[in-house]
Amino acid sequence: MRNKTNIKLGMIFSETGSYAALGQSMRAGAMLAIDEINANDEARYTLEPIAIDPGGETAAYAEATRELISNYDITHVFGCYTSASRKEVLPVIEKYDALLWYPSHYEGFETSDNVVYTGASPNQHILPLARHLISNHGKRGWFVGSNYIWAWENNRILREALGSVEGEVVGERYFAIGDKDFGELPATIVADQPDFVFVTLIGDSCYRFIRELRRHAEAAGIDQSTMMPIASCSLSEAELPLLGADAAGHLSSSVYFSSVDTPENHWFTERWNAQFSHLGRASADAEASFVAIHLLANALERAADTSLEAVRDAVRGIELVAPQGPVAVNQENLHCAMRPRIGRSTHDYDFEIIHEARQLVQPDPYLVWVDPMPEPESDYLRVVK
Amino acid sequence: MRQRIKSNFRGYRAFLVGLDDANAEHLAVILTRLGLLVEVADLKAPSAGSAKSSAVVFFDADEEPETPRIPENCGALASIAVIGNEAPSRLARVVSCGCDSHIVKPIRSAGVYTALVLAVNGRDRVSRAQAEAQLLQQRLAARRVVTKAVVALVQQMNLDDEQAYEYLRKEAMDRRISIEQMARDFLLASGAAPSSWASHEG
Repeated sequence: MRNKTNIKLGMIFSETGSYAALGQSMRAGAMLAIDEINANDEARYTLEPIAIDPGGETAAYAEATRELISNYDITHVFGCYTSASRKEVLPVIEKYDALLWYPSHYEGFETSDNVVYTGASPNQHILPLARHLISNHGKRGWFVGSNYIWAWENNRILREALGSVEGEVVGERYFAIGDKDFGELPATIVADQPDFVFVTLIGDSCYRFIRELRRHAEAAGIDQSTMMPIASCSLSEAELPLLGADAAGHLSSSVYFSSVDTPENHWFTERWNAQFSHLGRASADAEASFVAIHLLANALERAADTSLEAVRDAVRGIELVAPQGPVAVNQENLHCAMRPRIGRSTHDYDFEIIHEARQLVQPDPYLVWVDPMPEPESDYLRVVK
Repeated sequence: MRQRIKSNFRGYRAFLVGLDDANAEHLAVILTRLGLLVEVADLKAPSAGSAKSSAVVFFDADEEPETPRIPENCGALASIAVIGNEAPSRLARVVSCGCDSHIVKPIRSAGVYTALVLAVNGRDRVSRAQAEAQLLQQRLAARRVVTKAVVALVQQMNLDDEQAYEYLRKEAMDRRISIEQMARDFLLASGAAPSSWASHEG
């Protein structure tokens, strides 16, 4: 075995708090990659994670990052889930010239030179979902979200897409993150009979809302999952067990589902299920965390040295075959080219993939290059089932 | 109806004036990502800083006064000051140029998109307000024509001033023209106005 250089990595995943299920899943995805790299005799580096749990408190993220960078002399920090947390961390990351590896889908409109974005950009999740909903379910949507940028911006994009086909936003409501008191809203939505309910609630709020909506639909004799399905850009395998009997029949737009049929994903899910089945199945954010660690490891092997500049230069344009299939880091904006998919959740806490893009879609974080509804879904996504 | 904001700048031209190489290069990378077509001004060329209509102009607010200024009303879509020194002499230049928004040096990725959105939409709003102000000024100037027509009607047709005004208003509505235009037409027809008025608009 050769002499290896040890690299400390910072981890800021909220493994407690209102979206703990996601944080645990992301940390687990990162750990699978770290174990794999540390077991690889060919690798020049070993990776040593040092984790601080911000507990889902937005304000705690900046302090956690500062501590990792100054106390442990760390350059590479993995984590954040909500955009609010990323915006807290960014000034610290830029001030100390560290690199944040952000392994989650987000709403875009950001391109920091100190962030590698390994989750989906808006043109890779919300636009494919908009096309799918309009092509398959209708043009009347109810929007319910957690009151922060993720919901606001996704709702704006979907509202404009619906506007371009003379559709209608029947109603739009926001709740504080973690809020579980929806009052009359589920009953109102059922009475309004929209074509779909676009949910950008996150964590506990989301699970409670889905359950309540389904209860009210059942009471009204409506099959909610076919008549007014929940549509989401974030609902993942990590969350389906928390929905219990109400897990099936929801639409989610994502670049990864645990049911993706690739050799790499079979390998990945096998490892996942052996170690982390208590966290539900592997999810998009877990896979994005796994991919982020591998991208860093790849970049370290290619870089002239371990400095931030050398690693960042090396990561531009890197391609690797991830569980979801090929992934390529865009040279210019450090987001990834990936393949959008639409899944429908099942009773066994999985997603059946019903559509997927014909090819890799380049990231477009500022939605510069796409029009809201450039082509019907059939030209863009192919039917899988 | 609420005006939808412009948020996509694909294909817009960006014209960088007076920025040092490092800042110009960095800004060009960010603007290119946002879909703009970037040109860098050659300060020695006589046309620098002018005749760049339909471009968003970024100019360095820290440069010496002798470097070409962005002429007012050069027809630019919007102008954005790139500011290093927040000193009154430099900021006075920013104000006198009528710039639409600004970026603070050193240039970083965050902030450029915001500056663009504010500048382009702000300039739109200013243009609309200017057009409206011009229209109002024209109408204000035309009020004396209306007064003159009311006086002529009172004298010629034995009406009181209320009736005279109502007559003009109704005729204008029937003909789908402004009351100012109606007054002018009446005065021309009754020979109470010089024929040069006929060419006036509004």
